[in-house]
Amino acid sequence: MSPMKLCVPGDKLCSVEDCIPGTGVYLRHGYIYSSLAGYVLRKNEGEELPVISVVRETETQLLPDVGAIVTCKVTSINPRFAKVHILYVGSTPLKDRFRGTIRKEDVRATEKDKVETYKSFRPGDIVLAKVISLGDVQSNYLLTTAENELGVVVAHSESGAQMVPISWCEMQCPRTHVKEFRKVARVQPEYLQA
Amino acid sequence: MAGLELLSDQGYRLDGRKATELRKVQARMGVFAQADGSAYLEQGNTKALAVVYGPHEMRGSRSRTLHDRALINCQYSMATFSTAERKRRPHGDRKSTEMSLHLKQTFEAAVMTQLYPRSQIDIYVKILQSDGGNYSTCVNAATLAVIDAGIPMRDYVCACTVGFVDETPLADLCYAEESGGVSSLALALLPRGGQIALLQMDARLHQDHLETLIEAAMTACKGVSKVLDEVVRQHLQEVSVLTGE
Repeated sequence: MSPMKLCVPGDKLCSVEDCIPGTGVYLRHGYIYSSLAGYVLRKNEGEELPVISVVRETETQLLPDVGAIVTCKVTSINPRFAKVHILYVGSTPLKDRFRGTIRKEDVRATEKDKVETYKSFRPGDIVLAKVISLGDVQSNYLLTTAENELGVVVAHSESGAQMVPISWCEMQCPRTHVKEFRKVARVQPEYLQA
Repeated sequence: MAGLELLSDQGYRLDGRKATELRKVQARMGVFAQADGSAYLEQGNTKALAVVYGPHEMRGSRSRTLHDRALINCQYSMATFSTAERKRRPHGDRKSTEMSLHLKQTFEAAVMTQLYPRSQIDIYVKILQSDGGNYSTCVNAATLAVIDAGIPMRDYVCACTVGFVDETPLADLCYAEESGGVSSLALALLPRGGQIALLQMDARLHQDHLETLIEAAMTACKGVSKVLDEVVRQHLQEVSVLTGE
């Protein structure tokens, strides 16, 4: 890779007619300025103008955004909702845990009123969910698992072994062969190991 | 006051500097591994350490959450050994609270908080040795720490304290000059756009001199920004050499 140019916050990079602003930059009076200390990256996305962004070696904290798929761990359940800690946003681990809530009506897409949180999640489960709202002053991030690919991915049975999914609503313990109810995520075919 | 001349006839100050000369600025970024961003800055004999955590989820009172931007939480404190006499109350006293509010105001102007709604950025600054210009050193150290943490900012924030003696503006006051009854003005500037983030003065100054004093402060801040720029670029190059880019 050719040596990339160093830039600091406040550096004028180019005019808005030459490039489209990406991450790490901001627009002011028709010019693009850098907002981070790092390297300037120009990428041709296929449209007419290249996208200009500033990157650092260590990525800054990413915040969960609306529509992002997050990986979280269930901390407590309640007949009305489940509280989770958000650990990963996409595939980036977070340095700090953010708190989230999965309401009872957001667990499934069908038969929302007949959901029992005790039969969908248990504390300690790892769940794939999507952010639907950043919440307001009182609440945390609101998440949903109302899709086939969202739900529990890793769960441990009451005897402590990691369970195997059998259907979209059941998982089985390989040691005791006891079936437990969970809202299971459908694994994408490309992630299954032969 | 007999004997102590803040500005001699030849134009030299108490420590031998000229009127517009700044003290030596030395700084290092990334001094702590566990914090998201940190910096240590010396301006003459004044030494400050700044640490930045964030952006992270709101801690403490959730009612202070801002729905569209990040909340900047600043804390200023002085080490008990930083002054000539041991300081009895390093934080919580009125001066520290006022400084913390000033720092918060300064950084809210520069940090792009709209990118991190409903989260919090913590900036903690500690003065290890105090020899005048505490606020300016804090702002400069905190700027480097915020850049080290990778939090987007519009521009550097550079600060300097200036005083007015014998019709001459003195740049970068030391403790002896500040306590010698000089009308001092502290200015925090975003150097490239020339935008003032904070201007503070609580002394008496004739209106005619205000313009000159602000001009002198802006020039001094731009001088500081050059030094900070050098430090940041050098740090970036060092880090890239280590990661093998």
